[in-house]
Amino acid sequence: MMPQRPLLRRPGPVLALRYAAALALTVFFVFPVYWLFIISFKTPAEIFHFPPVWYPQSIQFANYRVLFKDGDAATVGNSLVLAGVSTVIAMVLGTMAAYSLVRFKTGGENLAVWIISQRMMPPIAIVFPIFLLYVYFGWVDSYHGLIILYTAFSLPYVTWMMRGYIEDIPIELEESALVDGCTRWQVLWRVVFPMARTGLFATAVFTFVFAWNDFLFALVLTRTEVITYTVQVTHYFGGQSNFWAKIAAMSVLGTVPVFFTVATLQRYLVRGISMGAVKG
Amino acid sequence: MAHTSAIDAAGSALALPGRAPDRHFKWWIIAPAIFLLLFIGLFPLLYSFAVSFQRVSMLENDTSFAGLVNYGELFRDARLWQSLLHTAVITAIALPVELVLGLLMAQLFLERLPGRQVFVSLLVMPTVISPIVAGATWRLLFDNRYGPINQIIGWFAGKPVAALWTVNPDLVYPAIILCEIWQWTPFMFLILLAALSNVDKSLTEAAEIDGAGYWRIFVKIVLPAIWPVMAIALLIRGLDLVRIFDIIWALTTGGPGTMTETISIYTYVQGFQQFEVSYTAAVAFLVILLLTIIVTWAIRRMGLAK
Amino acid sequence: MADLKITGLHKRYGPVHAVRGVDLEIPAGEFTVLVGPSGCGKSTLLRTIAGLEEANAGTIEIGGKVVNYVRPRDRDIAMVFQNYALYPYMNVYENIAFGLRARKTAAAEIDQRVRRAADMLAISGLLDRLPRQLSGGQRQRVAIGRAIVRNARLFLFDEPLSNLDAQLRDEMRSEIKRLHQEIGTTMIYVTHDQIEAMTLADRIVLLKDGQIEQQGSPLDLFERPATRFVAGFLGSPKMNFVPATVVESAGTTGLQLNDGKGLALPPASRQRYALAIGRAVILGVRPEHMARARDGAEADGHARLETTVELIQPTGSRTYITFPLGGTSVMAEVAPHDVQKPGDPIRIDLDLNRAVLIDPDTNRVI
Repeated sequence: MMPQRPLLRRPGPVLALRYAAALALTVFFVFPVYWLFIISFKTPAEIFHFPPVWYPQSIQFANYRVLFKDGDAATVGNSLVLAGVSTVIAMVLGTMAAYSLVRFKTGGENLAVWIISQRMMPPIAIVFPIFLLYVYFGWVDSYHGLIILYTAFSLPYVTWMMRGYIEDIPIELEESALVDGCTRWQVLWRVVFPMARTGLFATAVFTFVFAWNDFLFALVLTRTEVITYTVQVTHYFGGQSNFWAKIAAMSVLGTVPVFFTVATLQRYLVRGISMGAVKG
Repeated sequence: MAHTSAIDAAGSALALPGRAPDRHFKWWIIAPAIFLLLFIGLFPLLYSFAVSFQRVSMLENDTSFAGLVNYGELFRDARLWQSLLHTAVITAIALPVELVLGLLMAQLFLERLPGRQVFVSLLVMPTVISPIVAGATWRLLFDNRYGPINQIIGWFAGKPVAALWTVNPDLVYPAIILCEIWQWTPFMFLILLAALSNVDKSLTEAAEIDGAGYWRIFVKIVLPAIWPVMAIALLIRGLDLVRIFDIIWALTTGGPGTMTETISIYTYVQGFQQFEVSYTAAVAFLVILLLTIIVTWAIRRMGLAK
Repeated sequence: MADLKITGLHKRYGPVHAVRGVDLEIPAGEFTVLVGPSGCGKSTLLRTIAGLEEANAGTIEIGGKVVNYVRPRDRDIAMVFQNYALYPYMNVYENIAFGLRARKTAAAEIDQRVRRAADMLAISGLLDRLPRQLSGGQRQRVAIGRAIVRNARLFLFDEPLSNLDAQLRDEMRSEIKRLHQEIGTTMIYVTHDQIEAMTLADRIVLLKDGQIEQQGSPLDLFERPATRFVAGFLGSPKMNFVPATVVESAGTTGLQLNDGKGLALPPASRQRYALAIGRAVILGVRPEHMARARDGAEADGHARLETTVELIQPTGSRTYITFPLGGTSVMAEVAPHDVQKPGDPIRIDLDLNRAVLIDPDTNRVI
């Protein structure tokens, strides 16, 4: 986003005041994350020290080593597979659906509204029947089970977001492709997907993060084979204080990838949010 | 006149070789999505609906039609209504705070500020964390002995403080709400920042020239301009608040007792701990009904054309 | 065999009846321009020919084959769009080659064809540039290149020059004309600009409200318009229309204007208008068929009148003046130094041999 001319020229907060406010806010929002990070690097003595240690003496990776040794760290891998695959599938299916809705007005207003309103579906209301269904199919504690669920749950959002981006593609590009020699299918892949690149990235990031951070579905639909990092973190709850380190370390392992992804794709995201939000 | 009838009977009057190609393309490409959505969206609804009229639980497996038995129980279930109350309280407090705080932050960062990019990147952190991790983090922060929060309060109070944030009935709600606001205000902030950035400057400049004061401009021009976006953000955030689960699960698991049990937690308990299948289905249905009403009301009231 | 034959075509968009019964036959190699005011259905007609819209009734035949239900890609056509429709993420070479690639043409052949088309349009040096690095005129050439490269049977142009500035438009117009001379493909060109129509077309098809008002060679339509609409559409500045009545006076047929002035009709046309005596008509005279009267007698079929100059608009080589006639203001073309200032008296010579009379009820030329 480019800096704007002041929206309102008014005598009021001087730059210093604004800076102070900005710093205060940043401290408030960042401190907890900082705390989580440093706990993961602290020794047990430092963690359970009163008064709290604000700044660790040294960075210890012992806690992380434990996680890797115990195989707990592999849960991040599970999260990656589940979130990654479901995001890709959701992006493809959702964009195709959005294309159908935008260019062909398939199913009219009603279909579009139905699809997008599915986003409102509260997970808690559907998780139980789905659980029973999965038991019936034998899909509990399976990769494909959660992937299907995440994909389905992400579809309304993807469709909603991609609708706006597809509307922005000049239709002459598609028409020209049709005349030049493309079938409808080719137009979709050779013109629409490339043109919607920015939107695809932005939406994909949000979709991925949603699946990555999910807890409820993972809790209900997995047992021992397929554990995501979110569920794994809760395995360390239980009042036993010496698990704090594990909670922190596991959380960090699961959070750093997201920070990294968001940071690198920041440009797209900001544009993505503003376009998505403004379009509605 | 012959022409008009030819058009009205378009298909038959043409009698040409072949049919419109790609007629079905639009259905083929949307079919997989619809199929998945039916699976996720429609099936559970239907199943819940059917089962809620039966008597299936851990103890019995009576699938005969039992009428509105479960729904009757719903009304008598104090714990259920308590959980709805808890949910309402959390939503009613957190949502406005997130909105106002987000708006203030957006306004703060709207004008040029050196290092703005950096600030914004940092401020976004809470939102991208998993809610369960956020809850876990604040649980560590709130710890009565080793948590920094008590330490900081102790500085102001002049003596050591060992508040039991996750257990003390007077403190659990502030704890939950604080964590929730911490995590999701940046979300509102981002959306509102984008919306404010898109407000047509010529509108506000014209008003300034006309002599309108700051507040007037803000209320009469800026707010209406960003209202559509704000409404959607409120709707999304509001629904998420009603469904809140992870944060509470991490902080208090609905406790102490059932003091912080929201509707989601209650439903979970009923379904996965008590295995009251039919009853849970009825509760789930109630939840869906409630949410549908809220959403429809909200959409209509906000004047959003969906 | 006609390259394109349209019979009884109708196209509706909901309540809007965009094309109402069009019959058109275009022989191979001809440059046809579909022209008319906005909303007349010309773009719809073009898009229906291309297959981007489906006709509600009527048939479209390309090369003798009915193509109503044939996909655009299989109709053997190429199209140039108003907004160029270049793919921003591909360079010029890839843009031109796009259609060939989609049809899985061999790489060697693609290369040969692309370079040949680029040569023809003088854009060989731009092949690895991206569209955003090109000027408007260059982009237009790339769009045309993409059309040429496929050796299609029919070329369709949808207002390709509308987005260019005036000077560029003139240049590109010549380019397109030259292109047609060089490759001789049947071309159908849509525009709202009557100058483009006049200069480019072998045949003009003038459309109004979804129907063909008149078609023929440019000079045909210009000199022998069939209706008031055609007469007023072609020619710049517009033809003047003055209400009048056909009268019999002094043994000859003439016109009486509303302000009392009388004009004698040319002997050649008196026969034609004899039946119209007593009827109200509209006199159509083009500005260029009027001039400042020279000394000496009127030529055959010319009429003279005295009037006062209202407005003067010089363009350099010609000057247009407005003066009152028959209750309305009328524009005439005179030499730059024929007039001095508004309010001056002036004698105008009208060439009624070239004028038309229009029946106000049917708007057809008598």
